[in-house]
Amino acid sequence: MIEIHLYGILRDLVKGSCASEDTVLRVKYTRGETFEQLVARLELARKDLGDCFINGTLAKHSDVLHDGDRIGLFPFNMRLLCGGQYLKGHGFIESDVDIDHY
Amino acid sequence: MSDLSHRWEKVPPEYETLGGRAFTSTVVAREVDPTCHPLRTFNKLVVSPGLLAGTSAPSSGRLSVGGKSPLTGGIKEANAGGITATKLGRLGVKGIIIEGMPPAGSKDWYSILVRKGKAEILKTNQYAGVGLYDLIGKIWKDHASKPGIIGCGIAGQRLLKGAGIFGNNIENTDPGRYAGRGGLGAVLGSKRVVAIISDDTGGAPPQPKDKARFEAGSKKLTAALDTQAVTGRLKDDKGKPFGALKNYGTNVLQNILNEAGGLPTRAFKTGRFENAAKISGEAVHELVDKTREKFGEAAEGKYAHTCHVGCVMKCSNAVPYEKTGKMHVSPLEYETAWALGTNLGVGVLEDVAELNRLCNDLGLDTIETGNALGMLMEGGMIGFGDGKGAIKALKEVYDAKSALGRLVGSGALTVGQALGVTRIPVVKGQALPAYDPRPIRGIGVTYATSPMGADHTAGYTIAAEILGIKKKVTDPRALEKSELSRNFQATTAYIDSTGYCLFIAFAILDIDEGFAGMKDTVNAFLGKEIDVTQFGMDVLRKERGFNRAAGLTEKDDRLPEFFRKEPLPPHNVTFDVPPEEIDKVYKGV
Repeated sequence: MIEIHLYGILRDLVKGSCASEDTVLRVKYTRGETFEQLVARLELARKDLGDCFINGTLAKHSDVLHDGDRIGLFPFNMRLLCGGQYLKGHGFIESDVDIDHY
Repeated sequence: MSDLSHRWEKVPPEYETLGGRAFTSTVVAREVDPTCHPLRTFNKLVVSPGLLAGTSAPSSGRLSVGGKSPLTGGIKEANAGGITATKLGRLGVKGIIIEGMPPAGSKDWYSILVRKGKAEILKTNQYAGVGLYDLIGKIWKDHASKPGIIGCGIAGQRLLKGAGIFGNNIENTDPGRYAGRGGLGAVLGSKRVVAIISDDTGGAPPQPKDKARFEAGSKKLTAALDTQAVTGRLKDDKGKPFGALKNYGTNVLQNILNEAGGLPTRAFKTGRFENAAKISGEAVHELVDKTREKFGEAAEGKYAHTCHVGCVMKCSNAVPYEKTGKMHVSPLEYETAWALGTNLGVGVLEDVAELNRLCNDLGLDTIETGNALGMLMEGGMIGFGDGKGAIKALKEVYDAKSALGRLVGSGALTVGQALGVTRIPVVKGQALPAYDPRPIRGIGVTYATSPMGADHTAGYTIAAEILGIKKKVTDPRALEKSELSRNFQATTAYIDSTGYCLFIAFAILDIDEGFAGMKDTVNAFLGKEIDVTQFGMDVLRKERGFNRAAGLTEKDDRLPEFFRKEPLPPHNVTFDVPPEEIDKVYKGV
């Protein structure tokens, strides 16, 4: 099982959700699935997303998921407040970055 | 204030390029004896609008207040929005320096009224000892021009170290525009000044030396701010929420830091709070919409609220009472929702808003006071999560005879020490804000080394650290944080001097045109080319110099032991940046 915490407009993925409670979507774990594949499974595109996390660590699209992971999905307009967004390196906020920095 | 007189001074040539923090820190470094007692006659309280305050540049109306801090024993600058900076800018006032104090035993309280070409020191005993919501109403009744007001509340008047400098908001409905940190409210109180009232009748916007370049720069900066997803417009073309700050305010961070595992919970024991969503910026947004639907025109809740005239980012809000739709407090910021909510384990939005309102009314800094209440909980006086208990303890501050009230108003260090707490989250005596330094070590280096004591705004490395910034992305696991922190601290010192809100950084670091636009406005205004980093480093050098002379050493540039020894879940890491790395930040400066 993968536990997905949804924020902002992405809460709409769960019917009847509200912003003052946790909005959690549980989906089946698929062996070998990457973060990007999970996002596609939710019918979301990269441009829909802001800063996202896997178990509290910044998610990159190539990251392979594990059973029991907690995913935090933030929409494009919810980011850590700081500049340099397009150079952050995780490739989810803007598309022109192709280097993996660490 | 010693003989209740004043004089006007021409701006000396070496001060011409200085404003805001650069002005206050230069005056304090030159004129205040670093070894003086911060609450006696030799300290000075300096107020200065940023360089561009009063001009048409976007989001440029910040006000700096400086002096020697009773909390840190070092130099302090705190800044805020509100309307005073714009008024002073339009009056052509570069700074106000309040020095001396009335003779011992004086019972009277004063206000300083600044008008075009005229200043007065008024005896205003009727302004002392009252809550600040009442006070700002009284002052606008007495002064029809709807003046800017800054000053100190009951806490500052009693010389409590948690006292901040309040400011009225544009509508004069809330004294919540705080230059909160460092206990500067107590410094003003020690001068027996309750309020500084600025009436800009007859004033005019300051004129840039090169008008065309200034306006072109302003346009570029505005365009950058409008298009970026953090600082941008309220809704997209389809009517969906767009700009994060306008929709959720700074408290958008509550959920993000919680997910990142860096949200200090229950006095820095864990990095996640199970009730973060309940007190988040999203929850406030939802509550505002709900009360608007229910109460229509009578609803007073707001998001995309403006903190100062000419701000295009509008990150402020007004939290309504759910039952009546009337305004409870404005604004509720991330740091405050954290300090008075998460940090206390309180997940009830109305309790958090009430604690915030009480701090605003009493004249207390919410970060310092939230941490002080956290120490009460840590010391076993009230339970974590007991919002009503925290409200009761905070209300004690109104009572001049209450020892508990005096304690709560005196900041985290004093409360922690009095209660035998060994995990006191302070640096240089000032309490930590809403980012745990263990998983986010760069901000830990800023907390440790900033001349201001623990202060996130002094060098905001957060995203750069968790996400990386510009081409040299920092690995969050790496321990070489000194360069990162130093660069941020220098750029911040520059922005704090311009009058620009620090939040323009979100857009200008993203959009090069915006950065150029910002620099152009400053250079065109001054008619001089300013090097951003060098300007910032000059300010930092003066501040560090003052602190050294005040007796602060490298040993004061350290985080408390428990951050180095107690791992923080869920990442289970400690703050392990070695002292040598920390000391590199200011080596040779």
